[in-house]
Amino acid sequence: MPGKIIELIDKLIEVRSNGNPSLESTTRTKLLLKGIDARKYTSSSEDDPVIIEKIYQISEEMCVKL
Amino acid sequence: MTIQVAYSEKPQPQSAVSEISSQLSSSKPVAVFFFASPIFSPDEISSAMKNAFPEATVVGCSTAGEIVTGKMLKNSIVAMALESDEIEGIASDVIDLSDRKSPAKVAIDLAAKFGEKPMDLDVEKYIGMILIDGLSLGEEKVMERLGDILNITIIGGSAGDNLEFQKTWVYLEGKAYTNAAILTLIKPGCKFDIIKTQSFNRTEKILVPTSVDQEARGVHEFNGKPATEEYAAALGLPEDEISTRFMVNPVGLISGDEPFVRAPYRVEGKSIFFHCQVQKDIELELLTPIDIVEDTRRAILAMEEKVGAIKGLINFNCSERTCLLTQAQKCDEYGALFSDFPTVGFSTYGEELIGHMNNTATMLLFY
Repeated sequence: MPGKIIELIDKLIEVRSNGNPSLESTTRTKLLLKGIDARKYTSSSEDDPVIIEKIYQISEEMCVKL
Repeated sequence: MTIQVAYSEKPQPQSAVSEISSQLSSSKPVAVFFFASPIFSPDEISSAMKNAFPEATVVGCSTAGEIVTGKMLKNSIVAMALESDEIEGIASDVIDLSDRKSPAKVAIDLAAKFGEKPMDLDVEKYIGMILIDGLSLGEEKVMERLGDILNITIIGGSAGDNLEFQKTWVYLEGKAYTNAAILTLIKPGCKFDIIKTQSFNRTEKILVPTSVDQEARGVHEFNGKPATEEYAAALGLPEDEISTRFMVNPVGLISGDEPFVRAPYRVEGKSIFFHCQVQKDIELELLTPIDIVEDTRRAILAMEEKVGAIKGLINFNCSERTCLLTQAQKCDEYGALFSDFPTVGFSTYGEELIGHMNNTATMLLFY
């Protein structure tokens, strides 16, 4: 099923920013600095297991349960 | 009481600090931030500043040039004194860069001093200031770890040593540290904001690092080809001329519309090394320079329109920007941009805001 990556990214950003638009933007930048460019993924993006694993690892670092 | 600043160009630590202390004699500061040229002995300058302001939290670092209201200086010490009107609460501690767990531990301890958990610190009420050893190559790791457990803005700069690149120092409460960072958690008693300006335009020329040595901050390949070839092609220059353009044509990691600048500084074989880590497969965009003075003037005016009068500003200005200003003989013009409000700052070996970046000025302001 494609689209898992953007689903995880959106969830991570939503939880971490808690509806604050400024924190949403900051969290996107933090992800980019960690090597995840949210703009590259859509609901039809392939489910690359390496990227999915990386997002889970980042979510753990950022204290977000996905 | 207003925020006060002072400076001294006396070469002896004790005399310089006496002059600073005398200029700030009417202030009863709860915090003193100072930036001192590496001509001063690290232990002596840190100790003398704490002795001069025993009641205040005293934080500082070594520099590659100093900034004070209306002036850019060299071989001086500059200081800002903030009273309880501007600082409701402050706590600082030393991050040991050799200890992977130190950033989180320090953040947790500092938050606890305000009765909070790190993640619960309100971004509207707190701000973090970081001063970090500018030769440690440790900025990315520290900023990333702090960003993991804090939502508040962390702003700051990497300490310098007058472009000698031998040793840089951070100072806290009378002591001097290297291979360390000082994290200061501030609960301002007034409003605060930040300015980030890098004085570059985007070019839409994309360079994707496809082979990197992240720890060493090196890029072996852009777009699947040798890094020097692709960077030269993007510039339209012969490969052997690219190092002449490193300061004026860095690359940017684009977040939203905002470039986070990564500055190249040396070539080794076909690889290019940067002052900042570069992530594999994350697009970078070639940047082209605009006038630093005019760009900074616009940024300050825009902020003044937004917030009104600025009560005080701390400027973390990249030392490469200072080099460009010096070459263009515009240091006086740049300094004059900061004439209307109390300002201190320094020429840095890197700037911090969310992450680590180069060729940028990050500024913390109170209003």
